Amino acid sequence: MEIYALLAAAIVFGLGALGAGIGNGLIFSKTVEGISRQPELRGALQTTAFIGVGLVEALPIISLVLAFIFMSR
Amino acid sequence: MEHLAPIVKLGGGVNLDLAAILMIVVTSLIVFIFARLAVRNLSVENPGKLQNFMEWVVEFVSNIIGTATDFKRGRVYLSLGLALILYIFIGNMLGLPFNFITEAHHGHATFLGMELFMDGKEEAEFAWWKSPTADASMTMALALTVIVISHVQGVRHNRKHYLKHYFEPWPFFLPINIIETLAKPLTLGLRLFGNIYAGEVMISVILGMSWVGIPALLVWQGFSVFVGAIQAFVFTMLTMVYIGQASIHEEDH
Repeated sequence: MEIYALLAAAIVFGLGALGAGIGNGLIFSKTVEGISRQPELRGALQTTAFIGVGLVEALPIISLVLAFIFMSR
Repeated sequence: MEHLAPIVKLGGGVNLDLAAILMIVVTSLIVFIFARLAVRNLSVENPGKLQNFMEWVVEFVSNIIGTATDFKRGRVYLSLGLALILYIFIGNMLGLPFNFITEAHHGHATFLGMELFMDGKEEAEFAWWKSPTADASMTMALALTVIVISHVQGVRHNRKHYLKHYFEPWPFFLPINIIETLAKPLTLGLRLFGNIYAGEVMISVILGMSWVGIPALLVWQGFSVFVGAIQAFVFTMLTMVYIGQASIHEEDH
């Protein structure tokens, strides 16, 4: 049933990438808005944004690892 | 381009991954030698370059602790944070430049008399050099160590608030809080593992594209350096947040 494994891998990672894209987009849109309101907080806002990216991308990256596991079966 | 890891199966379901063991030893040696070199001949007026760099790293970790919890009480965890961030950063960087592959034929491979597991294949290639954090057991070990530290310190120093926080804000939140407690070590370990492992698999995929992949490899290596640094930072920051939440709680209430 190799085709089901490939299909599963594609669905898993496709949905994960969708989540990562939307999540990162929301984070950075709010960061840009915050920088435009208060330009002197740019360093702190950027740092917090990158922490947010590291957290939000955790589950999509796990879905990527799952896709690799499915593809190799 | 499927490389096997050189796994030795001892009895009873215990597998030793020789590449992971080798890389853990190499990373520990590098971090240890770096730290020892950085604190030789300390001087206040005339710091050398390594001493300057180490002072910057210590200040960086102190900022992380200050952001996460109260710094006066959290200062005891400075050496933990320093060890974590140096080890994870150097570990993430080590898997990027090289790889070291041996081939095995006739479905049979040994190393120093130990039988390597070949999954029933006749010919395979073993990859011996990878990031230590590209192994799930390694990152889960780091995450479990940190979570056990947070629980033990919470029970020791902050018993009432630690036990009460499972019932905050309402008592029927107990199942949700239990799920959160179980999810913390899982996501902490798997986040680091997934980021570094996916980066390494992508490197081997790009290498399989021969000379067309050279610009792609440059871009991807740069991105992997960036991701490795961010993941080390996020791991240390989350460590401090979890330990601070569990044990350094009292002044807020």
